[in-house]
Amino acid sequence: MANENGRPKVVERDEIVRALNVGKSFGTHKVLDGINLTVRSGEVLAIIGPSGSGKSTLLRCLNQLEPQTEGSITLAGITIDARKAATKKQLTDLRRSAGMVFQSFNLFPHLSVLQNISLPQQRVLGRPKAEADIRSRALLERVGLASKADHYPVRCSGGQQQRIAIARALALDPKIMLFDEPTSALDPELGLEVLAVMKELADGGMTMVVVTHEMHFAETVSNRVMIMADGRVLEEGPSQSIMRDPQTERAQRFLQAVKNR
Amino acid sequence: MSDLFTFWLENLPTMIDGLIVSLEVTGVALAVGIPLGLLLALGVQSRTLAVRWATMAVVEIGRGAPALIMLQFFYFGLPQAGVSLTSFSAAAFALAWTTSAYTSEIIRAGLEAVPYGQKEAAAAVGFTHTDALRYIIVPQGLRVAAPALLGFSILMLQATSLCFAIALPELLSQAYMIGTNTFQYLPILILAGILYALICIPATIAVSLLERSLSRHTA
Repeated sequence: MANENGRPKVVERDEIVRALNVGKSFGTHKVLDGINLTVRSGEVLAIIGPSGSGKSTLLRCLNQLEPQTEGSITLAGITIDARKAATKKQLTDLRRSAGMVFQSFNLFPHLSVLQNISLPQQRVLGRPKAEADIRSRALLERVGLASKADHYPVRCSGGQQQRIAIARALALDPKIMLFDEPTSALDPELGLEVLAVMKELADGGMTMVVVTHEMHFAETVSNRVMIMADGRVLEEGPSQSIMRDPQTERAQRFLQAVKNR
Repeated sequence: MSDLFTFWLENLPTMIDGLIVSLEVTGVALAVGIPLGLLLALGVQSRTLAVRWATMAVVEIGRGAPALIMLQFFYFGLPQAGVSLTSFSAAAFALAWTTSAYTSEIIRAGLEAVPYGQKEAAAAVGFTHTDALRYIIVPQGLRVAAPALLGFSILMLQATSLCFAIALPELLSQAYMIGTNTFQYLPILILAGILYALICIPATIAVSLLERSLSRHTA
């Protein structure tokens, strides 16, 4: 994409993420190889694929929890190239723009639900406490948990904890939300609560990248689906066509396996 | 029997004075030693090699040298280098060093017990490394370390009896002095033991109660 026709590299305005030739190796073990990816504003991209295919690693590269070892990633206008370590300023800006939701929630157990959501706003955005608390309560309301504000996370169910984690990420007004198997640690019923919140977010125009095993979500909520295996992208395109009519044999096998359960 | 109680009662004020000195030395050693222990625990994890080596040296000397040697070093040794300390200051410095060295290991273990996901979550919400330590890692790590720290604090109170060797008028010195004057060593040492126990046993119970209340917010 760089200088194909002699013009300087331009990141299109509505492009939130662009990954170019991203690779990641742990020692000699290559978990990502030549990944190219674009996510536009308002788009919901689902990344699916068998375990160990590198989907979570790719997601974690996007916000530099795992710095890639090859290629470059641009997120919300911040470009980080594997050849040059990111500066602290870049990392702070990047993470402020990208909200992250983990498989295991990772709420702060020693802080109340309200503090979990307010403290990052105070420390990262410099919002005064009163203002942060108002925002936190509004977000808790939005995810249906206004009554839990003064509880500690351990007193909440898994589904509730994950919705709180979503509220914590949203509180920083991110440009994009990254979800790393957000329902995998939940039983199916609790997973539905979380998926409902995610669907509402998607309908509200939030840009999202979702690593998931929820095939129904991938097919109906996301605009695009990317299937990964062995650290590479197998297929990528509009959700319905990828989910219903995969072209490669490996993708067909994977979708067969997950759909016939 | 009543002779014994009369004897104890007569000497109780002196013994209480000694106990107060013991508690004061313990208090200073802990008040200086535990915060220093936290700094050392963080220093050992530093990415700067010089900081890591310096803190490791402080910790290993503090743990390697017996408390009695530390006391004698500060009280008898330093004057030769031109630094004279009162027995109280020498005791406080020596025991604070010992405390910081041991507690740094307790705190380090506590910090390492904080799940990796907490560090990742702190990074993902954009906390700086310092903020992550201050608001997320250290509070949780200290909670893990608290019971062991308090247990160590009780041991330190008992270790102040070593200050007997540098003529600090703490509880054991007072008991020994009364013993020398009255030749009633056995009864006065028993009284000293009882006074230590009166502090240590309730403290131990308080620690286990605290342990229970600290585990409230964890799964």
